[in-house]
Amino acid sequence: MVKKSDIKAGKDNAVSKLESMGNTLLTEIEKEQSPSFEAPLRGRSNVFHNEKTGCLYLGEKKEKRFFLNVAQAKKFMQTVAVASKCKKFKEENLHTSIRGLFYQLKFTLGDDIDEELFEEQSESNELVEDLEVSLAVKREELNLNTARKGVVAGPIRIKDKFAGDETIIDGTKQGRSGWMIPSDVDNGMELLDVDADYVLVVEKDAMWQRLNEDKFWKKENCILISPQGQASRGCRRLIRRLADLKLPIYCFADCDAWGWYIYWTIKTGSMNLAYLGESIATPEAKFLGVTMSDIDTYDFLSKLTIRAKEVDIKRAEEMLTYPWINKHPEWVNELKTVLEVKKKLEQDALQGPRLTFVADYVREKIEKKKFLP
Amino acid sequence: MEKTEDLSQDLVKGDVSAPISDQLPSQLKVEPPKTQSPITAVGTKSTAITAGVPAEIDKIESKEIFSEFREHSVAEFFKKNRQMLGFSGKIRSLTTLVHEYVTNSLDACEEAKILPNIYVKIENLPDQHVRLYIEDNGPGIPKQFVGRALGQMLAGTKFHRFVQQRGQQGIGATGGTMYAQITTGKPVHCRSGIGDNNIFECDIAVDLKTNSPKISNMVEYTGKYRGLTIVGEFSEVKYDKSEYAPFEYLKATALANPHAQITVVEPNGERTVFERAHNEVPERPKPAQPHPLGVTTDDLINYSHHSKERKLSSFLTSNFARISDSKVDELRKLCPSINFDKMPRELKWEEAEALVNAFKQIKWIAPSADPLRPIGKEQIEKALKNVLKPEFISISERAPKVFRGGVPFLVEVGIAYKGKSGREKSDGFVGLDVKRFANRAPLLFDAGGCATMEAVKTIDWNRYGLKDIENMPVTIFMNLVSVHVPYTSAGKQAISTEEEIVEEFRYALMEVARDLDRYISGKIRDEQRESRKKAIKRYVKQLASDLPYLAGRGNTPEIEKKLIYLIENKYAKIFDKSTRLTADEVKAAKKEQVEAEIEE
Repeated sequence: MVKKSDIKAGKDNAVSKLESMGNTLLTEIEKEQSPSFEAPLRGRSNVFHNEKTGCLYLGEKKEKRFFLNVAQAKKFMQTVAVASKCKKFKEENLHTSIRGLFYQLKFTLGDDIDEELFEEQSESNELVEDLEVSLAVKREELNLNTARKGVVAGPIRIKDKFAGDETIIDGTKQGRSGWMIPSDVDNGMELLDVDADYVLVVEKDAMWQRLNEDKFWKKENCILISPQGQASRGCRRLIRRLADLKLPIYCFADCDAWGWYIYWTIKTGSMNLAYLGESIATPEAKFLGVTMSDIDTYDFLSKLTIRAKEVDIKRAEEMLTYPWINKHPEWVNELKTVLEVKKKLEQDALQGPRLTFVADYVREKIEKKKFLP
Repeated sequence: MEKTEDLSQDLVKGDVSAPISDQLPSQLKVEPPKTQSPITAVGTKSTAITAGVPAEIDKIESKEIFSEFREHSVAEFFKKNRQMLGFSGKIRSLTTLVHEYVTNSLDACEEAKILPNIYVKIENLPDQHVRLYIEDNGPGIPKQFVGRALGQMLAGTKFHRFVQQRGQQGIGATGGTMYAQITTGKPVHCRSGIGDNNIFECDIAVDLKTNSPKISNMVEYTGKYRGLTIVGEFSEVKYDKSEYAPFEYLKATALANPHAQITVVEPNGERTVFERAHNEVPERPKPAQPHPLGVTTDDLINYSHHSKERKLSSFLTSNFARISDSKVDELRKLCPSINFDKMPRELKWEEAEALVNAFKQIKWIAPSADPLRPIGKEQIEKALKNVLKPEFISISERAPKVFRGGVPFLVEVGIAYKGKSGREKSDGFVGLDVKRFANRAPLLFDAGGCATMEAVKTIDWNRYGLKDIENMPVTIFMNLVSVHVPYTSAGKQAISTEEEIVEEFRYALMEVARDLDRYISGKIRDEQRESRKKAIKRYVKQLASDLPYLAGRGNTPEIEKKLIYLIENKYAKIFDKSTRLTADEVKAAKKEQVEAEIEE
């Protein structure tokens, strides 16, 4: 059974925002005005980096959509359909994914109309983001789950209130596969004890498994996380929450375009989710490796480089133009080296001499505080 | 320069700039060429060949032709050079025959103020002979003239007149008689009544040696018929339905002559009636005086030396259009050394030259349109509507101008879009059709060298959004109205590319192109507005059904009604704002097109 207080709390936030949006539109129609919906512009031109907080934010630029504009009419109608559907999820207190939402809204507009409300999921995904931005609610608050991705293990205990039950998750008892980070780590999730010295975020799941097998988190008393590639919202939120507990965050990724991107997304937030600002960014995070300068320390690495692909080169060049990156001389140096030697280095290469070398590497890096900011 | 024959009142022969083909036969017939006549100029192949000289002349050894002309008649000459009359090619020859007879009928009807009713029947006979039957309701030909009208070259009523008419040379109908004779050996049969209850029928042939008519089988009887009927049997002709064939010719004739009713029966028995669209016979044109701007020194000398006026001043005012006493005063000031009170025949060459130069410095009223008989905007519109049933029509209206020897002319241009406009091309699609006319007579052949096509070619259609006009269902109607049409040859199928004429056609084309552009883009805008409204309306139902739930109030039918109302009534305003965007889009699209072309 859903508790009454839950509904009330929901209504206070997302539902009332949705309702007021509907009200505004209705009022415009009643006043014989073209109903309009305003949403902040997303995209590079409206994304800014804040020096002080070290996060990416959405700027002031807004876009007004009118129903009486042929280019915007469909999107307008779709937005209302999505908003209305989300209100329904809230009132029914049921969760779904954005794909579930898409299927709820994928139907024909009428017997005489050869057109569907939504044809592609990308259409509805975009509108969910629009709603989040313009109503300042997170999709989780609209009862939309994002994909679960990312695993965690280590000295952490979490209380998970879900579907009427309460479960205590013990991060030290998750075996070989770890605990899968849910899409929403805020609602109904409570961090009970976190008794760790730091957090290690490992880009690749394979590397995480390696370290997990070595009982790295036990030996080092750390929390071992892998976003399994690009970090999901839930994963990023968890890292943020752990950083809020004053735990140092160390990121361990490839020295290539993808690795850098994963790191910077965790650190400053991504352009796509810039509207979430600091709630999804962890500016305190440090880049542990792999770096080009590691080759100087670990000789064997020089033989394990791979030729950099075009995307790596392009990405490195691009990063050099971002003010929040090129203000760090260490990064400028690192990227310039990459551009010069046109090589990349994967974290897996650290298994070159022996499989357990990875743990030694991480330990040594942390000891010597050899990070990139 | 001395002219040999007397100047007729209307001064037509003084017009040296007229095509030589016009003047050539008469002078040859009257007497052998004198040293100063234009003929000699051709004979000696000098530079005096004017733009109007048919190209064929160049190819023939001129000296030979003219030496033979002393021995043979005009008829004999044309027998040998029948292509000059349009008898070249089987299809063209048949069209030429129809053209000559129909033209004569139309001219005769107009002169007699009769609404023309013309019946044309073409039959295929054995041995590839074709029988042509043409009947009109015109004034008919009095018995004593019928021989000369149909059996003697250059004997018509039209020659020697400075008046706008379809035919000009008086060779057409006799040309037909001659053609029947030389291809089948048969005379043409004719029937005529002038409305006095007397009808006669006879066979007519041409004595080619003497250029005189041979009349036989004359029968007279009483009856109600008024008009002229010609029945001829021809060979070396062929009927088909190409753009050069009689059917297209008659269709075009109907376009330019909305007051005429034309019925055509094709060899397969199919009968088509081009209905009369206008119930008034066009007014008869008045003879014209030359306009000072078109006069050459030579003309002036010729005219003045044959004038019966006593004073140069009165010679000028009475022989030229737009020269008034006050204009003579202006001339006096510009040419102080000339005595305007002396006898005109005492005018010296230098003085004439000075006068012609002075003409050019004075502002003249445009030549009178009186001698011109334009079809008129309204009538062209009626005719185009009648025949093409187009969606859009625009007709130009332009003031008369002068070309060459002070010959007044004006151009009439119409554009018709969609409906039956345009012509089916070989690929099955409908494309641009240019209907050319000179004094309402259709020009079907030799389009390439015609002033009309020259004008069409030089228009930058892209500027009017009609870049692809070649592939659009468009008919362009072009009529040159003039007392003297400068044909490129005696076949009378192309207007020579006089600068002034081409320029006028260009301006007229631009006028109608602008109108069509405006219409098409307006239509596109309207269509766009409607389709946009429709596009938005598709989403009303869904929006109206979601909104009450989202807002927690309101009801779907009411919202739906309100939204429809908004789209219908408020949309125009919003749309106009966004049309600016559309114009940009159009620009972008055009730019892309150009770029794509460059790439090609």
